[in-house]
Amino acid sequence: MDGVVAHGVRRSFGPVEAVRGIDLTARPGEVTALVGPNGAGKTTLLLVLATLLVPDSGTVSVAGFDPVTQADEVRARMGWAPDVFGLYDNLTSREYLEFCGRAMKLAHYETRAAELLVQARLVEKADLPVHTLSRGQKQRLGLMRALVHSPSVLLLDEPAAGLDPRSRVELRELLRLLATRGCAVIVSSHLLADLEELADTVVFVDQGVTVGEHRLDALPAPALRTWRVRALTTPPLLKALKGTDHDQPTAAGVDVRLPSDEAAADLLAMLVGKGVRVVSCQPVGGQLEATYLELTQ
Amino acid sequence: MTLQGILTVAEQEFTIRIRAGRWRWLLGAWFGVLALVAGLIRLATQTVNGGKALDKGVVVYGGLTLLVLGLALLVVPTLSAQSVNGDRERGTLATLQVTRLTAGDIALGKFAAAWGTSLVFLALSLPPVLYAMTQGGVPFGRVVVVTVVVSLLLGSVIAISLFLSSALRRTTTSGVLAYLVVFALTVGTTVTFVLALALSTEHYTQTVPGYCPQQSVTAPCPTETFGGQRARPDRVWWLLAPNPFVILADAAPQLPPETAREKQQRLALEQRGVNVSNLRDSDPLGGLGRAVRSAHKAPGSSAGSPVWPWGLGFDVLVGGAALWLTTRRLRTPTRDLPLGQRVA
Repeated sequence: MDGVVAHGVRRSFGPVEAVRGIDLTARPGEVTALVGPNGAGKTTLLLVLATLLVPDSGTVSVAGFDPVTQADEVRARMGWAPDVFGLYDNLTSREYLEFCGRAMKLAHYETRAAELLVQARLVEKADLPVHTLSRGQKQRLGLMRALVHSPSVLLLDEPAAGLDPRSRVELRELLRLLATRGCAVIVSSHLLADLEELADTVVFVDQGVTVGEHRLDALPAPALRTWRVRALTTPPLLKALKGTDHDQPTAAGVDVRLPSDEAAADLLAMLVGKGVRVVSCQPVGGQLEATYLELTQ
Repeated sequence: MTLQGILTVAEQEFTIRIRAGRWRWLLGAWFGVLALVAGLIRLATQTVNGGKALDKGVVVYGGLTLLVLGLALLVVPTLSAQSVNGDRERGTLATLQVTRLTAGDIALGKFAAAWGTSLVFLALSLPPVLYAMTQGGVPFGRVVVVTVVVSLLLGSVIAISLFLSSALRRTTTSGVLAYLVVFALTVGTTVTFVLALALSTEHYTQTVPGYCPQQSVTAPCPTETFGGQRARPDRVWWLLAPNPFVILADAAPQLPPETAREKQQRLALEQRGVNVSNLRDSDPLGGLGRAVRSAHKAPGSSAGSPVWPWGLGFDVLVGGAALWLTTRRLRTPTRDLPLGQRVA
């Protein structure tokens, strides 16, 4: 199968076992999110997929090829953007993309670079040195480098780290577009709210092991979820909440932990019934965040 | 590995290099120092025989060449000793390794860029060299051979420095070690040779036919035996062979012998009481070369054989091995990773 299939991947650095058995499937046309705490092995896994590290054991296939024995075939079809920019400060954006195109053995690397500059909205800055670009612009340039050879598999390590909200929205739209065109996109990120609107599948990793692989529309319901209730005046609310598992009130409201959506509906009905002037009652964080907190330690 | 790939990397490295430093100043200073020294040596030859000495160019060229080699050996380690680990630190190496460029493309491309830069320095030394040639006595063949030998020596040092940058994690460590390599090749070989020469001292006895003029022709003359201590440089010459200065001086073709016509002119002048001194006897390259060759010869043999093919062969071989090892260290995917080294 095209896309990415990894099974039982293990890799240690000396005495440190960075990856102790990760399974992951990323289908063409979908965005797969790789989620887990720092040090969970996400970057190491991406390095294995990006033909940079040999796994100690396990089977890996990227775009239908083995990244260890068929590295060149994989490289011709895979784009990778690491969590550092890795740009040459003294080159201009245009020179940089042309160089990447030549390194990828593209015949029309000049045309391709011009296309990507348009796509990255860097046309005005195309002939300025890279060190004059803003963080967001550098990030886009790094992403364009990974796209220079129109790969069918895209590996992104924390692409949205440090980006402003507008750039994050644009990144999301670009990745969705690439997926629509048939690319298998793997994104490692901590921005769960972004992923919730972007990903089709989520793979949770913790301490080097896959702890869950779910369709985003079929996430397992967490045992307890936090709901935030706000009323016009807090004392009657607190009085009515007596006996439930709730936190101290803050300016944002009172957080209550509830086992299910039914329990939330019941609570709201009870509050209204008791005459509490409720202004809002909503789950805190997305469902992805709730699942994440439950699956990882 | 393809020529196209090597050129892609080399061109890129070269562009970055040119934009990063104050090259105009550096190259200008380099040229200025060489021109100044050439001029000063030429002035110094003016003191010999009231400025009427012949072949002044031999001294100017010899001094200039040794200076070019010495200064270039100080410059070239910086051209490649932080090339690979510096890219690792900046996170640009891994993005290169995931392209379709091979490890050989990257290693040879980086080498070509650094070597090319060193050849620019060498090319800038040519105007003073041409000036030396106009001062007489420097054969064209010598300039060609010396230029080729210097570029090969610089290439070897650059290759070794490149390997150090691929093998060591920290750029400062590889930089310092590259300079230690240059130090070992120049000062190290000389000191080792001198110390080994002392250890090579042996006791020897020699038997020669005696001298007995009183005796009749029919009776054999008794032989005489004498002995003593002597050093055996022919057993330790190879310690000196990798020294770049030794290689350069020994490889430089000897000056052509005085032609019959030149000799006739000189004798004619001397007969008329004109004192003619010829500066070809003060040739710095020839002098060093002859000294090394005489160290190479066994006691009793008449002429020493050249040392430079051994030394240059050794240095170029080490440089080639260094390039091969660099390529191996750049190969991905990586199985063994030195502790603490990041992939990306």
